[in-house]
Amino acid sequence: MASKFGYAGGIPERKVRPIWDAIDSRQFKNALKHVTTLLAKHANSPYALALKALVLERMGKPEDAFSVSLNAKEHLFSNDSLLIDDLTLSTLQIVFQRLDRLELATECYEHACGKFPNKMELMMGLFNCYVREYSFVKQQQTAIKMYKLAGEEKYLLWAVCSIQLQVLCGNGGDKLLVLAEGLLKKHVASHSLHEPEALMVYVSILEQQAKFGDALEILSGKMGSLLMIKVDKLRLQGRLLALACDYTAAADIFQKILESCPDDWECFLHYLGCLLEDGSIWCDEAVNDPVHPPKFVSCKVSHLTDEQFDSRISIASAFILKLQTDTSDNSVRCPYLATIEIERRRHLRGKGNDDNLMDVIVQYFCRFGHLACFTSDVDMFVEVFTTDKKAELFGKLVKYNDTLSTPPTKALGLSISLSKIKQQLLLGDMFKSSASDVEDSCAQMFEMYCKNLPLSKGFDPQESMHGEELLSITCNILVQLFWCTKNVGYLVEAVMVMEFGLSIRRYVSQYKILLLHLYCHFGALSVAHEWYKSLDIKNILAESMLHHILPQMLVSPLWSELNGLLKDYLKFMDDHFRESADLTSLAYHHKNYSKIMEFVQFKARLQHSSQYLVARVETPLLQLKQNANNIEDEEGILQSMKCGIHFLELSNEIGSKSLTFNEDLESRPWWTPTLEKNYLLGPFQGISYCPREVSTKERETSLKRDIEKKSLLPRMIYLSIQSASSSIKEHVVNGSVTPGITLELKFLLERFAQFLGFSLSEAVEVVKGFSNGERSVVSDSNLIDWLNFTVFLNAWNLSSHELVQPDRNERKPIIWNILDSMLEKYIFEKVRSMEPQLCSPWSDIQLLMQLVTEPLAWHGLVIQSCLRSCLPSSKKKKRSGPAYQSSSNLAHAITDSVQQLSLVLEDVMKWLNEWNKRPEDENSEDILCLLRKDGHNDGPGRVFHILETFISTMSNEEVGDRIYHSLKSWSPADVARKMMTGKLKVLMEFSAICESKLKLLQSLKQQIAQV
Amino acid sequence: MTTIRRFCCNDLLRFTNVNLDHLTETFNMSFYMTYLARWPDYFHVAEGPGNRIMGYIMGKVEGQGDSWHGHVTAVTVAPEYRRQQLAKKLMNLLEDISDNIDKAYFVDLFVRASNAPAIKMYEKLGYVIYRRVLRYYSGEEDGLDMRKALSHDVEKKSIIPLKRPVTPDELEYD
Repeated sequence: MASKFGYAGGIPERKVRPIWDAIDSRQFKNALKHVTTLLAKHANSPYALALKALVLERMGKPEDAFSVSLNAKEHLFSNDSLLIDDLTLSTLQIVFQRLDRLELATECYEHACGKFPNKMELMMGLFNCYVREYSFVKQQQTAIKMYKLAGEEKYLLWAVCSIQLQVLCGNGGDKLLVLAEGLLKKHVASHSLHEPEALMVYVSILEQQAKFGDALEILSGKMGSLLMIKVDKLRLQGRLLALACDYTAAADIFQKILESCPDDWECFLHYLGCLLEDGSIWCDEAVNDPVHPPKFVSCKVSHLTDEQFDSRISIASAFILKLQTDTSDNSVRCPYLATIEIERRRHLRGKGNDDNLMDVIVQYFCRFGHLACFTSDVDMFVEVFTTDKKAELFGKLVKYNDTLSTPPTKALGLSISLSKIKQQLLLGDMFKSSASDVEDSCAQMFEMYCKNLPLSKGFDPQESMHGEELLSITCNILVQLFWCTKNVGYLVEAVMVMEFGLSIRRYVSQYKILLLHLYCHFGALSVAHEWYKSLDIKNILAESMLHHILPQMLVSPLWSELNGLLKDYLKFMDDHFRESADLTSLAYHHKNYSKIMEFVQFKARLQHSSQYLVARVETPLLQLKQNANNIEDEEGILQSMKCGIHFLELSNEIGSKSLTFNEDLESRPWWTPTLEKNYLLGPFQGISYCPREVSTKERETSLKRDIEKKSLLPRMIYLSIQSASSSIKEHVVNGSVTPGITLELKFLLERFAQFLGFSLSEAVEVVKGFSNGERSVVSDSNLIDWLNFTVFLNAWNLSSHELVQPDRNERKPIIWNILDSMLEKYIFEKVRSMEPQLCSPWSDIQLLMQLVTEPLAWHGLVIQSCLRSCLPSSKKKKRSGPAYQSSSNLAHAITDSVQQLSLVLEDVMKWLNEWNKRPEDENSEDILCLLRKDGHNDGPGRVFHILETFISTMSNEEVGDRIYHSLKSWSPADVARKMMTGKLKVLMEFSAICESKLKLLQSLKQQIAQV
Repeated sequence: MTTIRRFCCNDLLRFTNVNLDHLTETFNMSFYMTYLARWPDYFHVAEGPGNRIMGYIMGKVEGQGDSWHGHVTAVTVAPEYRRQQLAKKLMNLLEDISDNIDKAYFVDLFVRASNAPAIKMYEKLGYVIYRRVLRYYSGEEDGLDMRKALSHDVEKKSIIPLKRPVTPDELEYD
């Protein structure tokens, strides 16, 4: 900013310099002093005022800053004789942007450009304003004006990009592309193009109109030389030729690329596609999600005749063979993997056979089987086989492996690849294998890890060690054994293996992710959260990796940790949304036009992120949960979210929005391939390895429903509080209840009922049926929704009386009565069904925690609201004194409810205390007992036994100092303790929440007693 | 098995397997986007079969006169694709662009003084330690400024090592 010196608004530079210096060095008080002095002399100078606004904004006084900047704007508009310069405008622009009032900055520039129509500097500022506002049409108009004035290529391209944005990201029709093409054509005729990026935009405009021939002509002409990276140019030409269905020419181009880059796999696929005259790879580019491209190369059955097909395949084979011979670099894999792909195409055509395909995979194994990427290279090809054939392939690989004589590290690499293939087989086909066979394999893999540890002797701790993957495989299979046998010892063993691995080298992210999910399964969320933190997930990684921990945290009592996760994530996303346009602007100015579209589309992708929307809805819900014990605080929170109106809008809009899913699901463990799925909670069944049968459409529909439902909650809570208090006021002053509140709440209840699958009247009948024990519609998955619904129904019923009149013989309104007994019933049910043990099902505890922190908390607010309205406060003591008595049914309801809920919470607390009773050592000893074999051969503990033996026998000389000390200092008892304390910590947090709610109820009791 | 192409924004959502590595920094968005907006030719990604991200390089070109040079800001490879010379390929690409397109005099990079495996690798690729930068990393660890001369620096003047270490504020560029 210090560079912005000059004469602005007639103020000499020396007077302004100290202000900018102070701002730059963040001495805002000092800056304000200087500005005040300046304003004494130049009271009406828009520049001086803009500076003051800037300083105030930086001092954290947005309201003051806003009024001063408006003042500056007024002066700017009212004084006709004033010379408007960019320095004043850009200073004001900064303030308005920081205040989220971009439109005001735009107005200033529009005014200035109207006044001085030919000033490029001002027009540039205006263009930037439109970029920030994503006003593509106005961008285009401004850029055209600039182009006409200056005649520069750059401004023409700004206009063309603005047109492209209208077509691809706005409402502009394809016809606009003709206009863009015309503009470029005219310019090219007289001036040609001088920037490679300008040429790329020109080509893309033609490509979007399917004018491939024209685009190719331009590329092969003089302008083509602008593309300096030869391969990039060839790729572009190849793609255009293929799109134009000139496959022969395209194949030639791709062949050329492969000759210079023999390892370019994508290019090979393009080459083969062209030879077989199959353009599906390019069509797929357009339909596939670029963030989750398919692993498989999709291809259609070729329309070629058998002879043509054979001849093309032999051309490809011959060329690939030549590439293999010509390439001396041993690390080049493409020509070898290509032979497998060629065989796969034969297979698809019905001309190949399994044996041939197996043979080429075996050959690839012989050459590259030792590499860590071997399995992911051949993954897609192995999937072609049936389970039996996979087993046959595995047999062949093992046979070949036995014949290979290689140095130890290579041999280990080969064994790991085999283990990975075997793991796929085991996971896919385990229901056919016996548990003891699987245990054998598991033990073998772990032994292999131990045996090869000396290979990593003396390694830098930063360096990956040999055989690290063996531990992940061991862990995966142990979890599979747990799923199959339901013996929790296997899970404990899996945790031990991963913890052991991390004590040897603490940087292995794969272990951390597996552990995180294992700890979540045990309910030791606090430990899972620690491991998540150790992954250092930040910035954009949060968008792709937060899913590992967020869903579990959302239903946990670890509120401060959850708050931290949500806050960091939302801050990152919102910062990006704010900055993104400035970075797009940077791309315009640096003439990197191709990035403009990319940036705008990427921002849109993140704005539609499903996870972002979830976080936006869950953040206020968390705040509401945290403050539910104090109605005044809760009302403050509700006020800050405009009484839930914003979220209501979101709920209304979400249906028409399309969501993006940016999670990296590949990084999830096999047993929970998506956020919604956890195989371990269901019965054991055969699954394909790492099932990715995730339908985005399905996820989108269910998530949208969930967001739509949840974003009703803040408003419903607000209205329930209002409804409850107005019901009392009705009794007190005999006035009428605000009809708007009752009506709106009824409308929202209708919407909420729909999520339960009923109309409002039907849902009311269901609720009434609860009193007779009719609960067939309630399941674990909708329990919280039903109870929330009943809470809001009760609050509405208090003020509407439309539904149920309080029964004269009852002490409580009937819905209230039902609600209290349901809360009691379900909470008792959960508490009594669970033993305080490490392996008690966590999903039940999660439900219990939700019951207390959601419906019970919202109901507590309704009670607080009723009580506040009818209890004497200091101001209205005389008038409200009799209110409590006058509304006797309500008075009874409140008294009963408080009593009943207190008993429920006391019961929960008692149950929670049971957990804490047992000494720590006893707990951890119990866990370790799950792993001790005591003469039994079956069941968990085999791997653990190998582990213990290994630690006790390993010597310093064999593995080196660092590994030796890690081994010796590792303690299974510590891990067992950590598992238990991790779980206890979560339960104690929950206990604290219950205690605070109990305190609230006690204080309510006291208030009632004072009446 | 590498298709090397320009890095694009969507790759930011696909590079977790690379960036989970503890030595690979995940920068804020404006950092990545500034590089993309200003030096798209210096930001490349390597993709393997099954569309897997193998690694990437990000860098820039800057300086004046005979200190006009390419700079490697980050180069990183996912664990499963290591020991395959991928980093070398990515570095060579950036060197080629600096040399042939931007006519730079040298390429430089900074590395933690403790990161012995990386230093060894850069030396193999022809880089020499030009100078030590005291407490370059978060004011704690020293950094090494390593350089490789390009064809325009005929006399290899740019890589003659400095005799004394420098402090971060003495650096010409951020």
